Amino acid sequence: MNPNINPGGPSLWMSFRRVFALFCFLGRKTGKSRVFLLLGLIPVAIAVVVRIVMAGRSEDVVAVFNEILMVFYVTFEIVILSLFYGTSIVAEETEGRTLSYLTTRPLAKTGIFLGKYAAYVTLMVLMVSASLFFSFFIMNGHRFREPALYLMFLRYAGALGLGIAAYTALFAFLGTFLKRAILIGLLFGFGWENVVQYFPGSTQRLSLVHYMKSLMPRRAAGGPLSILLFRLEPSKPAVAVLILTVIAAAFLGLACWLFRTKEYLYEE
Amino acid sequence: MTAVIETKNLSKWYGNVLGLSDVSLEIESGITGLLGPNGAGKSTFMKLVTGQMKPNIGRVSIDGQDVWNNFRLFSRIGFCPEQDAFYADVTGWEFLTGLLRLSGYSGADAADRASRTLKIVELSEDKDRKIRSYSRGMRQRVKFAQAVAHDPDIIILDEPLSGLDPLGKRRLIRLVKDFQSEGKTIIVSSHVLPEIEAMTSRIVMIHQGKILAQGDIHSIRDLIESYPHMISLKCGDPRAVAARFVSDTSILKMSFGPDGRSLVVETHKRDAFFNRLQAVVLETAIEVEEITSPDDNLQAVFDYLVVK
Repeated sequence: MNPNINPGGPSLWMSFRRVFALFCFLGRKTGKSRVFLLLGLIPVAIAVVVRIVMAGRSEDVVAVFNEILMVFYVTFEIVILSLFYGTSIVAEETEGRTLSYLTTRPLAKTGIFLGKYAAYVTLMVLMVSASLFFSFFIMNGHRFREPALYLMFLRYAGALGLGIAAYTALFAFLGTFLKRAILIGLLFGFGWENVVQYFPGSTQRLSLVHYMKSLMPRRAAGGPLSILLFRLEPSKPAVAVLILTVIAAAFLGLACWLFRTKEYLYEE
Repeated sequence: MTAVIETKNLSKWYGNVLGLSDVSLEIESGITGLLGPNGAGKSTFMKLVTGQMKPNIGRVSIDGQDVWNNFRLFSRIGFCPEQDAFYADVTGWEFLTGLLRLSGYSGADAADRASRTLKIVELSEDKDRKIRSYSRGMRQRVKFAQAVAHDPDIIILDEPLSGLDPLGKRRLIRLVKDFQSEGKTIIVSSHVLPEIEAMTSRIVMIHQGKILAQGDIHSIRDLIESYPHMISLKCGDPRAVAARFVSDTSILKMSFGPDGRSLVVETHKRDAFFNRLQAVVLETAIEVEEITSPDDNLQAVFDYLVVK
């Protein structure tokens, strides 16, 4: 054995760091990442077209960007990305039969799970942020000199990042114990999350997207996409951030506990 | 010698299916062959020893420490899984260095070790090719490489020779023996009997989740008293030799080989037969070309035990 290696074994933090580094590398190389990177080009392409078509109508351009933000990023891209990456944290190891390469290494199982989760969240945040950066600044190019613009970008990117962290934690939790987690995730992400927005009362607070929308710009009622607007007042941003953080932490905690205690068998 | 790996009343089941039943073993350093047909429980045993599964009953320990969820022990273990599985789109070099980093090596150390190990398994020239473009034999070798690259003192190899051509098998057997000479504890599983026999005479025979026999293959063979030893004798005049043994009560059966130059004898008293044979050869001056024991191999012992 290498005398430089701690004979007592690595700490949780060391396990986390090692797995994080490996999956940042492996995650970049997957076909899934290439597809999602291309997906992120869609709003950029739309931004370019809108800027050309709506040249000189800066207020309309900003309104279109807000629609893209709500419809594409909030209700679609971060959900689909989180669904595929989150459920794959465990599923791709069991389906690809590679889990034993991780679990027979001197690594804390919690570190393995958290390291892979963090690596995938980082990849997703980078992909979404890059896409958001280009679409945001293409459409708001006329406001380059306004410092508030940059703060706004950081706020949106931060909110999307938090949404990714929360959704991924939830889907990763489903992936630790469900064989068809992706189907359940699809039903949740594109069924419940959308439908519940139109339920009367405060039922919509039982969805993640409610808190995501609470962190996004307010939109005026009316127009073709008004069906996507809130029926109730959004939660306060601080409350939304807190709840998304708690959701992410709670599901991560549960997922780590399950991953540590559950045995994973490869299907014959 | 003290046991490195110890299992006590180890049992594991999957729902209603029994994977392993009441297995108590002490495994010392050197090569131990785990032999049994597919589904016998070999992989279950290896997964329990490597901490991938938790026993339902009993315990498995390494140097007295329980294995399950004891990840600090795992720097001492190298595991080569049976399944032909790798991370997508990585090269042999990336695969090996990535796993070495997981074992705690720095970038430079990981590169150095990966380089040395790939040389040992003769994959240096193909290290930058994607693993998915490797032949089955190359994939087996890179899988073996990841099990030994971090210099573990316990190496668990699940069907390591599967998919290798005869030359590749011979090379890997030589490598395994080299690691044995370094004082490592190695468990190798196979359902192909000559493969195990080529690596070690210390075996554990497993069938339907239970240990059928363990120890030295020749000793096990000796213990099977209800089955006679088969001895094949090749000489110029086998009939003359047979004539001398006709009245010998220790001989159960004699038959002649199809080539007319060999005599196959079945006896319960092998030592007595050899003593008598020595005398016969001296008396008759018959030139004996070859003496072999056709059933003194794992296949015969395994067949006997399973039938039993």
